[in-house]
Order: sequence, then C-alpha cells, then structure tokens
Amino acid sequence: MSSVLLISFFYEKGLGEVMSIWIGPMQKHVDGHKELTNYNDIVTIKAPKTVYIPLINGLSTSFEVLVKEGDRVFVHSKVAVRNDNFTVPLFSPVSGVVKGVKKVMHSILKPIDHLVIENDGLYEKAETLKPLDHQSATREQLIEFMMEAGIVGMGGAGFPSYIKYKFAKDIHTLVINGVECEPYITSDYRMIENHLDDLITGTVAMLKMSMAKKALIAIKKTKKSLIKKVENAVADIEGVEVKAVPDVYPMGWERTLVYQIFKKRYDKLPSEIGLIVNNATTAIAFGQALTKGETPVFKMVTVSGDGVKNPANVYVAVGTPTSEIVAQLGGYAAEDVRCIAGGPMMGKTIVNDHFVVTPYTNAITVLKTTPLDSIACLRCGKCNDYCPAGLLPVRINNAEESNNVDLIAQLRADQCIECGLCSYVCPSRLDVTEGVRRAKKVLQLKKQGG
Amino acid sequence: MKFTFRVAPNSRSRQSTQKIMFELTLGLLAVFLFSLAYYYFEYDMSYVTHALGLFAAAVITSLITEFVWCLIVKKNYLKHLQGSFPWVTAIILVLMVPISMTYYALIIGTIFAILFGKLIFGGFGHNIFNPAAVGRTVILAAFAGRVAADLNTSATPIASIAQRGWLITDAIATEAFLESFGGLTNLFIGWYPGALGETSALLILLVGVVLAIRGVLDWRVPVFYLGTIFLLGYVIALVNGIGIWYPIYHVVAGGAVFGAVFMLTDPVTNPTSATGRIIFSIGAAIITVLIRVQANLPGGVVYSILLMNILTPTIERFTDGWQIERSKKYLTAIGVTFLIGVLLMGGVATQMEAIAADDPNDNGEDPIINLGDPIGIFADATSRVPGEVLDTATDGNEVTFVVSSRGYSVLEGGYDDAKPNVFEVVIDTSDNTLISVRVIALNDTPGLSDPVDSATFLDQYKGLSIEDESITVDAVAGATVTSVSANRAVRAAIKALIEDGGDD
Repeated sequence: MSSVLLISFFYEKGLGEVMSIWIGPMQKHVDGHKELTNYNDIVTIKAPKTVYIPLINGLSTSFEVLVKEGDRVFVHSKVAVRNDNFTVPLFSPVSGVVKGVKKVMHSILKPIDHLVIENDGLYEKAETLKPLDHQSATREQLIEFMMEAGIVGMGGAGFPSYIKYKFAKDIHTLVINGVECEPYITSDYRMIENHLDDLITGTVAMLKMSMAKKALIAIKKTKKSLIKKVENAVADIEGVEVKAVPDVYPMGWERTLVYQIFKKRYDKLPSEIGLIVNNATTAIAFGQALTKGETPVFKMVTVSGDGVKNPANVYVAVGTPTSEIVAQLGGYAAEDVRCIAGGPMMGKTIVNDHFVVTPYTNAITVLKTTPLDSIACLRCGKCNDYCPAGLLPVRINNAEESNNVDLIAQLRADQCIECGLCSYVCPSRLDVTEGVRRAKKVLQLKKQGG
Repeated sequence: MKFTFRVAPNSRSRQSTQKIMFELTLGLLAVFLFSLAYYYFEYDMSYVTHALGLFAAAVITSLITEFVWCLIVKKNYLKHLQGSFPWVTAIILVLMVPISMTYYALIIGTIFAILFGKLIFGGFGHNIFNPAAVGRTVILAAFAGRVAADLNTSATPIASIAQRGWLITDAIATEAFLESFGGLTNLFIGWYPGALGETSALLILLVGVVLAIRGVLDWRVPVFYLGTIFLLGYVIALVNGIGIWYPIYHVVAGGAVFGAVFMLTDPVTNPTSATGRIIFSIGAAIITVLIRVQANLPGGVVYSILLMNILTPTIERFTDGWQIERSKKYLTAIGVTFLIGVLLMGGVATQMEAIAADDPNDNGEDPIINLGDPIGIFADATSRVPGEVLDTATDGNEVTFVVSSRGYSVLEGGYDDAKPNVFEVVIDTSDNTLISVRVIALNDTPGLSDPVDSATFLDQYKGLSIEDESITVDAVAGATVTSVSANRAVRAAIKALIEDGGDD
C-alpha cells in the first residue's frame, strides 16, 4: 500500500517541508520596495527645539520620572525608569531643561505621558554608563549592564532584553535576527552595514550571557553582499556564523525564523527549545553601550514610501516628532497620505504626524492614499494558506461576524500576531487582519468577563 | 495636509479578485479557441458558427439575468458586475456542453446557473453550489434529448466506454477501442468530439499550470482530484487485470481534467483550508469514478462536484481549529478519505463486468437520434436519381438486393472522390413487405450521416408494404439527403423485384 508508506514517510519527516501541502506555506514573498532607501545617503536629523520622551515601553506606561521641571539634563542622562515588573531606564538625547510631563498622541494610537525637554543645542554629555570590557566582565555583570543601558528589543517590540539572559537555561543557540522582512524598511540592513564591529561585540557578549555554544546571524539570502561582509567579519570568531534565510514575509518573526532554521515550534518562548532570539540592532545598541558607554537615544529610522519626497534612512534623536523628520527630509509628496508608525504591514496608521521616535522605532512609512475597493470574500483561502501562525483567518472572520465566541476560541484567534499577511494576500481587498483583531478583543473580553 | 486612517496592513498584494477572474476568463477562452479549431478543421464552418452562437447566447443570457436581478433588487448594475463575474459561469457552461446543444436548452441552463446557482444565495461569494455545475445539471436532466437538429458528431469517449460497462478486458478489443479515438495520445491532445471545452487534457492542464503559478487557482485541487481518479482507476485495473491505459483513460476522457482545473477549483464553493480542499478533491474523485462505473450516468464530474459542495460546510467544520496543532489529524483525515476510496473501488471493481459491443459496426454512438419530416419512398425525389442494383440473391421468399444510391456527397458535396452509399434491402415476396434495410457503406459526411445507420431510422422500413405507394419513413434530422438515398435504394430494389417478376 503505497499510500500508507507515503503517509508514514510524511510522519517520519517530522512533517517538515511537506507540511505546506496540507496547511499551506505559512509565508509569502511580499513587494519589498527596499530600493527606495537601500543605497542612498543616511541623513542626520537635527534634534528639534523640544524633544518629547515617550514614557512607555511595550504597552507599559508605568514609569518613575527621575527629573523634575527646571532640571538641567545632558545627553545620556537617565530621566525615567519603568518601575513595574521590568526595569527599563530612559535617557535624554539632548542637553537642556526639563519642561515637565505632557500627554501627547503616541504611535500606539493613544495619548500618553511624554517627558518634555527643551534642547539647548549644546549636546553636553553625561557619563551615565562606563564602557565595559565584555571579555573580562562576568555574565552577571553583563546582564546588569544591559539592564542599566536600557537595551530593549530594537526590532519594534521593545521587550527588555536583559530578561531573556537573566533567566537563560539550557540555551544552545543565540539567534541574531537581521532579517528585516517588513516592506520598505532598511534601517537594520544599513545599521549592520555601518556598525559591523558593534554588531560583533554585542553578539559575542550576548553569546556569553546566554551560555549558548553558537550564535547565528540570520540575514536574507537576497542580501548577498551583506552576507559576505558579515561572513568575513565573523570568520575568526568562534561560535558565530551567518545563516541565510529566504526572502519571505514574515521571516523576521521569531517563530517563523526559528521554524525556518530549526524546524521546531515552541509554545510561548523560544527558550523552551533552547533558543534566545534578539534583533541585530539590539546587538548593535548593546555593542555601542559596551564599547562607548552610549545609551540608545539615537536611532536609525527608515522614512520611506511614495508619500515622502525624499525617502531615506535617518539618524534621529529619540523624542523627535515625525513632522520634524519629514520636514527636514523635504516634506510630503502628496496632500493626502497615510502616515504609518513602522512598516506598512504591522505599523499603525496615525492620523497626524506629531508622534515621536521611541528607542525601538525602526521606520516611518508614508504612503499616498489610494482607494481600496473591497468586494465579497471569494473564499479563496489564501489567508489560511499564508497565515504564518497557522490560523484560519477567514474562518475567524466568519466566526466573529456571527459572534460565535466558542468558535473564535477554537480557531485560536489569540495566536494571531497581526502581521497583516492575511489582508495583504486577500484578492477581494478585505480587512481580514482587522476582523481577527476584533475577534481577539472578543476573546479578551470573554476572559475578563468570566 | 490630510492624514487618512486605515487599519493595518497598509500594503496589499497586486493580485485582485478582478484580475483572478480576468485571467481565468483568458484560460477558458484558450480552451474554447481549441474547440473552434477542432470543429473548423474536422467539420466545417457551420459548426464554428454554432459554437460561437452558443458562446454568445450563454454570455449574453448571463449578463441579462444579472441585469434583471439588479432591477429587481434595485442595485447599480455596473457596480454589481465588478464583483459578480457572471460570464465566467456562462463560459464554463458552454465549454461543458456538446456542439449539438440547442440555444434554447443552453439559455435555460444559463439562467438556472446564474439565478438559482448564484444570485438567490446572495450573489458571488455566497453560493453553496458551483453555478456552472447547476446549469449543466439542469441541461442534463431536462434537455437530455434536446440536441441541435442539424449538427451531429460521432460518439464521445465517455459514451463509448459507458456502453461497455466501463470495462474492457480483452486486449484486442482494447486496442481497437482506443484506436477509434486515435489512441491515448490523441485522447490526451483532445482532437476528438466531446463537450466543447472538455476534450484537450493537454491544453487544459497547460492552462491549469499557468493559472496555478499565477495564484489564480489552488494547485492542490486538480492534483489531488486527478491523482485520486488515476489511482482509483488503477485499483480497478489491478483487480480486473487490465493495463495502465485504463486509469489514464479515466483521467483524459470526458470532463475530469476540465472539471479539475475550472470547476472544482471554484473557490466560492470549496472549503477554505488547504486540508479541506484536499479532502474535497479526493471525495469528488471517489464520487466521479463511482458514478462512472456504478451508476453509468453521464456527467459524473458535474454530479461529484455538486455532491461535494453539499459537504463543504461539514469539511470546513472539521478543519476548524489551529492548523499547526491539528496538522497530524488533518493528514490522517486525508489518508482515511483516500483509503475509503481505494477500498470502495476495490470492492466495486470485483463486481464490474465488461459488456461486449453488440455490433462491430456500432461504435457505440450516441443513442439519441432525432427524426424529422416524413419522406416518401415513392416520392419525386427518389425517381430523379434512381439507385442502382449491384447484386441480387434469392433465398426462398426472401430476396436480397444490394443497391448503390447516390447521397449527399455525390449530389451536393461535390468532392472529387465522392462515392454513393450502399444499402442492403431484403424483401419478403410472400406478402410483399420489407424485411430489413441495412447500411453496407455510408459515404456521406462522417458524423453527420452516421445516425442514418441506426436502428432508430432503419427499423422504420420493417414491415412496410411494397405495394403501397404512399409509404414513408421519417428522415434523420440533419441528414435528409442521406435518408432520401436510403429511400432511393428501397425504391430501386422494389422496382428490380417487380421487373424480375415480370420477366418470369
């Protein structure tokens, strides 16, 4: 019975590659538009007269402000610290005078507290961090240093990185994520290219902290010259290798990347299967803190899209409003635009340009507003085939429309990461992701209610 | 400056449903063009005109049906059309009917397809059944005998093997059988009569590959459907000890390939998950083969699609869940569905019996023959170009005449090598009645004149009195001249008999 043999063969293969036959490929190449900012000059944006340090980390706004109105602060001065479960300090990118705390619209689409600092233009520096030699330092010292330096997931999540290392146990591989799968964004790529030494310092230190044997720097296959550069740089470093991965979305998502490299899935955290994953720019920021004592107050941000006149990567102070950045780049290219905090897939559309750069902002995408004509769902199932979380988005949408909470739960809407791929592939131009978001809210309400 | 809000993601793939439907339409047109070429080269322009007429009739009907619907439900027609695509259903329907289809039947079928197959469910995206399959079923059920009076082609591969109980075990018979369609290769290429768009497996598969690569259809559906049909055919072949030609025949003959690429892939009536679509396709394949070998009905593909459409919500419910978590369950379900098919077919195969073709001359033709106006045996037409008696034999009261009689090809065809038709006329001299009229050679237009060589037509002569000058038979519709040539042969035989008698 050849069919029985065939099925047992699939089972033995660990359901690896062949699984895409019956649950879909769970990833897709998307239009990158990376050429807009891949090769042109990096623009340094002059810090504005007033900077607004957003008192937020991830979704937590529980911060203790360490300065008061009228205080003079310096570049790298510690001005606030997250004081709930995690410790995340925030620093000043400029020297000047504290003007107090003000509620300003933030990129999470809600107004939150921002610490207002008036820039005196002198850029006097404070010695908040002393450089640390990662080779002589102990693992504990490095973890402490990482916390004090305010190193968070620079890929966009902002999760405090030191936590991953503090509780590291049986970690065999550290994965440095330099995939950058969001369309338009090239800031990681440009950072790796320009700060290779910092990347390696950060990676080697993090490898030590993780107690893993090996570090893999994951880069898209299509970035051949960058791969070669990094390969040359790590050639003499034991345990650090470059791993080329396919140019598909969302390869930069932890789970997709881990599955691509290790063919394994985990329940909540990669540490369950002996992995720590950190963004390449996180490693760079950590490397810069170790060697130069710099805190993450400047950020490389890709400002791209057909809605800005001159797309470019900019080097910008945390707390700089988007309007300032776009103005210094030459302004908008259209009267009606969509201003997105982040990339076009996962970034939120903000209805003004007052929101500011955070330590973990990597892009501002501005797109011309084009009509989006949706028609009835033709049930093609592309959203199901491509969902990187293995969900059935169209079914979740159907369940949400009929308010079938049990079915939403059965369909595991809670597993959605809102990567946007289901809406991207939808040929009927429906807001599939938004439907899943609504379903997730229904689930959360049910949880809270019962 | 205006900042417009839109929910993430703000990036959309370039593919749209409109583009998908446009590319699908192009694929269907390629298949239709092949069909036009076939009828042009193998028959004549009148066939091409008829095919084009059918195409226009179906497409226009579909557009009008949706227009009337829009009037009734008060919708903007043009806006409605952008998300409705009725022509796709219409074209698929045209491609599923034979060239002999009448406008009347096709128009009714199209209206049913659009109205009852789609619109009353709420329009595109909401229909439960494949609209084209609905239309085809209506035609199959209500207009089985309604074929165009002036167009006829020879037997289709499906009808031919159906007449033999879907089984030919004898090797020599197999060879002769396959040769009647130019062999398996020609069946694959599709240069034979059949439904307008269903014959060329090769072309349809090529179009299918292009459409699958372009993301217009899901490759899983045709691959699992045709793959399962092949394997189930292989099971029957193994059980009955016949060759590999048999499963191949199942795949390439009839509407399986067309159905696989253009109908089963209809996303609206499919389950939405990959596993769901695989189970759907395997299930449809099992039903298709079962209908063929067991029910011996035409339209196995169409019925299998409609039956699986009924199961779509059930399959959908089964696959509901988290795909990653349920991956092994999915695979098991696919395997079980397939195994059920294999076991079922293994059992069915042992019960199958080959039916020998009754008459070597009868190549299993379409049993439906339309008779038209009565034509007199002693009418003017038969006196003008009398038949020639070639041979006479007497056996007691039975006198047998072999008569050559000029038919269409000689009188009107104008071909260089046109030959008359030859008939055998047997007369009972005891009561001066006709015993039988049989065709010995038919040299008129192949296909067109074939129905003259059928019991339906020839049995009309049985028992007619040769002394009654008012006797008539009904001409075969579309082959009147050939029918008249048979009458001339009979008249010549009667004349020869009377003259012989005079000599005695």
